[in-house]
Formats: sequence, structure tokens, C-alpha cells
Amino acid sequence: MKLTHLQGMLLFAVIVSVAFGFMSRRRPLDQVKYIVWSLFLFLLVGIAVGWAMYPLSR
Amino acid sequence: MAEGKITPTMEQGMEQRKNGNETYAVVCGVAGWLVPGLGHALLRMWGRAAACFLCVGALVVLSAGLRGNVFTSAANDAFDRLGYIADLGTGGFYLVARTLETDGPDVSKAGGDYGTRFLATAGVLNLLAALHAYEIARGRKA
Repeated sequence: MKLTHLQGMLLFAVIVSVAFGFMSRRRPLDQVKYIVWSLFLFLLVGIAVGWAMYPLSR
Repeated sequence: MAEGKITPTMEQGMEQRKNGNETYAVVCGVAGWLVPGLGHALLRMWGRAAACFLCVGALVVLSAGLRGNVFTSAANDAFDRLGYIADLGTGGFYLVARTLETDGPDVSKAGGDYGTRFLATAGVLNLLAALHAYEIARGRKA
């Protein structure tokens, strides 16, 4: 199996967000909101850190 | 007997129920560690149980597919030992990961590194879920 960095990050973010959402909220609507919000933050921070490291890779 | 007054018999009953709850909470915690989601299933929280089982299972299967490093007790340094503890957090799925990864780890590529992290994440996530089930069984969380 081969994954790009973006695919790896996406899979990680989706799976962990779903687990966090189900564990930290009880009502289904709250769970969905939490999953979407934490997924957004995971991706935002991941992409921001990726760009922050970009100058070091050259 | 005055109404609302706690008698010694009632006190004994309350103490027994408290001890029973504590034992059941430990059983839920350990079961949740051994089989991801089982702790919540024992508490009849089916959604959480399924989510926990599927998330930890997916991370373990992905980790094996990406040929991540499954740490063993024969650790060389502190990081390997920490990795082993994190991997053990998956409980029974640790054996599944070792069984699935027949070709051995390949961390020379980014995929292998991702696999190593996925398995460690699965372990920590499962420990968190087991602790969550334990706390719910004790009546501390909803």
C-alpha cells in the first residue's frame, strides 16, 4: 500500500476525529459538529506546519 | 424508624453497591483495552463501541499495510520501549498487527513511518477509550 503525505494526513485526521467525536460528545448532532470541527483543525494545523517547514526542506 | 435516616443495613448495601461498581468499572476498562470497544459495549453504548473498534481496527490494518514498525519487547532504546508501550495499548489488536505484517517493517519510505505512527496512535486511542469506559462505569462521565 502506498499513500502520499496528504492522503496519510487525511486518513489520520478523519479516523482520529471520528474517535474523538464519538468519545467526547453524547448527542449525534454534537458528535457530527465535533468531528467536522476537529477534522478542520487537524487539516489546518497539518497544512500550516507543512508550509512552515517548506523553507527548511530546500 | 425515622424516614430519610440511613440505617447500618442501608449503609452496608450502599458500600456493597459501590464496591460492585468499582469492580465492574475495572472489568470494563480491562475489557476495553483487550478488545477495542468492548468496554463501551459492556455499558451498552453501541455507537461508541463500534466507533472505537472501527477506528482502532482501521489504524492497525493501515499500519500493517504501510509496513510500519511493530515494536517488540526486545527494545534497543527508550524510544523503542515507548513505542512498544504505545503499541501494546491496542490490546488484542497488537497480535493482529504482528500477524498481518508478514513482510516486516520498511521505514525507509514515508509510508512505513506513517504506519509506525498509525499503530502508536491506535494504541494511545484505545487506552483513552478504555479509560473513558472505566470512568463512565464509575459514574464520573456521561
